[in-house]
Amino acid sequence: MSVKVRIHPLLQEFTGGQEVAEVSGRNVGECLDHLEIQFPGIKRGLCDKRGKVLNYLEIYINSESSYPEELTKSVNDGDELTIVILVGGG
Amino acid sequence: MKRCMLLESDLVRYGRQILYPNFGEEGQKELKESHVAVAGLGGLGSPASIYLACAGVGHITVVDDDHVELSNLNRQILHWEGDIGEKKPLSAAQKLSQLNPSIEVTPIFERITEGNAKDIIKGAHAVIDGMDNFEGRFILNSACVAEGIPFIHGGIHGLLGEITTIIPGKTPCLACVFPEGPKIPGMIPVFGVTPALIAILQVTEVIKYLVGFGELLTGKMLYTNGETMEFALVNLTKNPDCKVCGGNRK
Repeated sequence: MSVKVRIHPLLQEFTGGQEVAEVSGRNVGECLDHLEIQFPGIKRGLCDKRGKVLNYLEIYINSESSYPEELTKSVNDGDELTIVILVGGG
Repeated sequence: MKRCMLLESDLVRYGRQILYPNFGEEGQKELKESHVAVAGLGGLGSPASIYLACAGVGHITVVDDDHVELSNLNRQILHWEGDIGEKKPLSAAQKLSQLNPSIEVTPIFERITEGNAKDIIKGAHAVIDGMDNFEGRFILNSACVAEGIPFIHGGIHGLLGEITTIIPGKTPCLACVFPEGPKIPGMIPVFGVTPALIAILQVTEVIKYLVGFGELLTGKMLYTNGETMEFALVNLTKNPDCKVCGGNRK
């Protein structure tokens, strides 16, 4: 499956400023694994040590939240993942 | 309950918004009878409280525990150079009362804590999130869920913004989506226009909610990116295991 991933600006330090990446995978977890291959180190900005998606992060599949059990959520060819971080300034 | 009356001066002052078909004089009366709490009087809370006052929300509670500093003035438009050193709620109340003497403004100079949050928001019909830290934001979220008061969440970073309207018992709460906030190392960058944009959307939500028209950002998060001018609307999901509102599920 070819999936487009939109990377939040605050995570683009891991991608050298790249906003969109093309990955492949059958589910969100596989897509993130593929993202890690392209951008080594990005998974530590996405998941905790146990591999769980960080609490202040949300992953949307075509504008729908992938919560709960985000990593096992299936994706289809042409889907778009959007990774978002809670922003806290006021 | 007998509705309040609009004065001749109200009909003039608010005439242009009264012309709006879904609003009218009844909408103006609704605002006049409403009480909105603005938690945090920084980049979000400043424009939010100004537009609430301009719109004629009858009672505005403004809360902050900070004093005005020079570094606030690129975005916190309620506070001016002559206010440096002043308590933000007092600086805010002074301006808002001058802007619209017909409304009641209650300044509260306190840090929002688990111990006082419910008391501070008690009686409000809506709470605007103008917090600049995650701890206070999550405390407010919990207090609003507990008290059944709508919470209009806003957050910013640089040119990025986000907003959602949380209706306790109906929509996901902030902790459903983000059980905790990230650790912020030091100060975050911000242009004044970013919180201004989000604050104006927050007030738009409050007006629609109080009067009862239009579509709300309930169960949705609007993300704004001022650098790319991309706005994205996504659907949020309620967390049945949410420690804050899990028990309120319908």
